[in-house]
Amino acid sequence: MRRTALTALCATALTGALVLTGCSDSDDGGISVSGAYMPQPVSDMAAGFLTIVNDSGTADQLTSVTSDDGEITMHETNSGAMAEVSRFSVPAHGQLVFKSGANHLMFDKLKHKPKQGQTVTVELHFAESDPVVVKMPVKSATYVPKTGH
Amino acid sequence: MRKKTLAAAALLAAATLTLSACGSSADDSGSPVSVVSEEPGSDKPATVLDQPFEKPDLVLTDAQGKKYDLRAATKGKPTLLYFGYTHCPDICPTTMSNIAVAKKQLPKAEQDELQVVFVTTDPARDTPAELGKWLKGIDPTFVGLTGSFATIQSSARTLGISIEPTSKDKNGKLVSMHGTQVVAFSPKTDAGYLLYGEDATVDDYIKDLPKIVKGQTP
Repeated sequence: MRRTALTALCATALTGALVLTGCSDSDDGGISVSGAYMPQPVSDMAAGFLTIVNDSGTADQLTSVTSDDGEITMHETNSGAMAEVSRFSVPAHGQLVFKSGANHLMFDKLKHKPKQGQTVTVELHFAESDPVVVKMPVKSATYVPKTGH
Repeated sequence: MRKKTLAAAALLAAATLTLSACGSSADDSGSPVSVVSEEPGSDKPATVLDQPFEKPDLVLTDAQGKKYDLRAATKGKPTLLYFGYTHCPDICPTTMSNIAVAKKQLPKAEQDELQVVFVTTDPARDTPAELGKWLKGIDPTFVGLTGSFATIQSSARTLGISIEPTSKDKNGKLVSMHGTQVVAFSPKTDAGYLLYGEDATVDDYIKDLPKIVKGQTP
């Protein structure tokens, strides 16, 4: 069941994710990223979304996200209130999802306002795995990812 | 009609296997991913209220710094009301952008009829000038309102929308809250008869706005 879900997710992955290990079925595939995007922001503040898949048997943690383009903090949303989170777990053979209305990356003090069609480069830092660089495409302000659900 | 609890639970399940909680929803221990696709009765984005809300008697300051009386200004006009804040990266700009894009699909006369009102939940940071600057990037015809938090909170409460004042988190950063619903008021009754959750998409608004401007139920 889990394998099916992950494979479907990878298959529908959007452009822009720098997938290091692809959708390998092997147990030591490690960390991969799919579906990364940023809705075109209104101000110098923006949100970023992506899915981190841990295809290995070792649990990991996302400890920070950085970018040359601005400050990034990680948040979860509970009933209309955001709360900053210092680390998110990425379970073994599991995934960590950032999506609108839930977990999100928050960009602040952006040096330039990203426009649709551009990309924003971010680096994901983990407790165990090597950092992963993700080119996050900027989508329209009303973009909704097609997840197949 | 959307079943809110199911939608919330599904959102939760979709969001992550491991974390986050929407407070109200049931335990998510071991809930499999596959449940997400089996959400029944969620084909319509609007929740139609059996007992419509009275339009709040809300008098605040608009983005031009002028006094704005919600009831007087929107009487007999289709009106969408949302409570949010501009230092909001995710839901607030998306919600307002969805409405802005959908509104542009309406015939010009109906665009002029539709009133979109954004009430800040963070009046200390959202001055009239800040609201104006933010809304200009979305739709300059949208009305932005600010004023005393107590006034804003109590009017939100009459619509079943619960907001708390901006507070500092443990890192000293300011954290604000947005409402989780857009309320649509009918031009025929001036009552709030539809609710849209934050998962309503631009396509949902494109489909429903032509009905809303006529006071019909989508």
